[in-house]
Amino acid sequence: MARISFSEARLVTEGFTLEYYEQLIVDPYYRTIAINTLWFGLATTIVSITIAVPVAHALAKYDLRGESLILTVLSFPNSLPGIVAAFMIIVLFGNTGLITNIVAAFSGRSPIDLAIATSVGGLFFAYLYSMIPRALLLLRGTYAEVNTDAEEAARSLGATPLQTFRYVTLPQIKPGLIGAFVLVFRTALAIFGTILILKSLLVWTLQIDREIAQGFNIAQASAMATIWFGFVFLFTLLALRYTSAEVSL
Amino acid sequence: MATYDTGSLSARFGRQFVKLILVTTVIFLSLPVLLTFVSSFAAQWVGPLPSGFLTFTNWGDVIGGTGVGADVSVGSSLLYSAGLAVAGVVINICVGVPIAYAVARYDFWGRSWVNVFAILPLAPGIILGIAFLRAYPDLSTSGIALVIGYSLLKAPYMVMAVQSSFQSMELRRIEESSRSLGASWLRTFLTVIVPNAKEGIVAGSIICWTLAAAEFNFSYIVYSRGTPPLSIFLYNNITNASFLNAAAAVSVFFLLIALVTIALQLVGNQAAVRRL
Repeated sequence: MARISFSEARLVTEGFTLEYYEQLIVDPYYRTIAINTLWFGLATTIVSITIAVPVAHALAKYDLRGESLILTVLSFPNSLPGIVAAFMIIVLFGNTGLITNIVAAFSGRSPIDLAIATSVGGLFFAYLYSMIPRALLLLRGTYAEVNTDAEEAARSLGATPLQTFRYVTLPQIKPGLIGAFVLVFRTALAIFGTILILKSLLVWTLQIDREIAQGFNIAQASAMATIWFGFVFLFTLLALRYTSAEVSL
Repeated sequence: MATYDTGSLSARFGRQFVKLILVTTVIFLSLPVLLTFVSSFAAQWVGPLPSGFLTFTNWGDVIGGTGVGADVSVGSSLLYSAGLAVAGVVINICVGVPIAYAVARYDFWGRSWVNVFAILPLAPGIILGIAFLRAYPDLSTSGIALVIGYSLLKAPYMVMAVQSSFQSMELRRIEESSRSLGASWLRTFLTVIVPNAKEGIVAGSIICWTLAAAEFNFSYIVYSRGTPPLSIFLYNNITNASFLNAAAAVSVFFLLIALVTIALQLVGNQAAVRRL
């Protein structure tokens, strides 16, 4: 694949040119896409981890009724492909979506104006839909190893729950947090099916598809794929080297 | 216990707040699934809620095929995908089990690297799809490309499932007693090690099968003609068919996942169920 991206000819792999990489660096169009991908991935990663931490906390510490059912529900989206996640968001936030209609009923505005499924907001929720369960997967494993004695000691010494969490629990789950960050950020960068249906933000993977679908510019697509691969590889490597994160999917 | 300070803000509202987030998340994740399933039996959905229960037209369209829009029936797609996924799983067993065994049992140079590479799916479907299109242009339109792609993409799950099974065994001791009783290395591996890891292998196979049957990104890039795999069928339904038909098509998929989850629970591998 990397070989193809340096190829001169369009339909056969021969010659050597950096034209397609030059294109990627010089053309502001691609720069915009790269920036889109990164900030959107970063934002969704941070939000989904922020949500996953309290959820994992509740699952680990509280006595909940129907805990195994909750666990099943929470891990179910892990096995759904991106297109289905997108469909779920249309069900919730589309023109006939349930939440759209509830909001419309309360605010008295037309549901069509309120539907956000195919806007960036809807895409944000769609990303969360597939990312929260993945973050949970790792965080629950981390929480299982948290030393509860230290937490109880902190509590009985007069720390508030928030202080206990901040100074006792958080340092213990830090490797898990970093691991979750790496995993979820990679997931965010790789999302393609969701974006193919909702199409509200031009990200790297969608552009790769467009390069092929419109004009079969496979050399450009390969160049983009190579860059993607290189970036994720380096990112994972650095994250694993400079932190003590334990990534085990 | 009674000496806890209960006056602070987080002591009074912290738990409620955390529970609220949990409940919201559960609703956010489960509500659309339920809605989709319910609405697939509805005749129309114009207001906030679907209406006109109980009709099987949508399911009929999906199962029998309509001749317009997403025109093939789910049966052929499901069978095709199931076949491809089975082939992928067979490859995964042949490759994944020895890798997991080697990593769990032996110490060798680059062991941790093999581990990282086996466990992290480095290239997502779309990237791998592009690689396939040009690396094997003749293969790319056939099912073989899909099989190879599925097995490559899902191998990590197999390695993980089998590895967790190996890690709970005392591999060295089992292997040494078997060898000292006169069994050859191959015989030890096939008749002692593998049966002991059966649970992990079965769980891994089920997970790989489901994920492969549902794989979209790779199929979308590579697939060009013939019977569409299940995920492409879903995509066609979501983009081209009426909303309720799409709901029925997605529900077929939900049922598949539910069956697999039950199958995993029967195998008794709780960890694998959670992971799925």
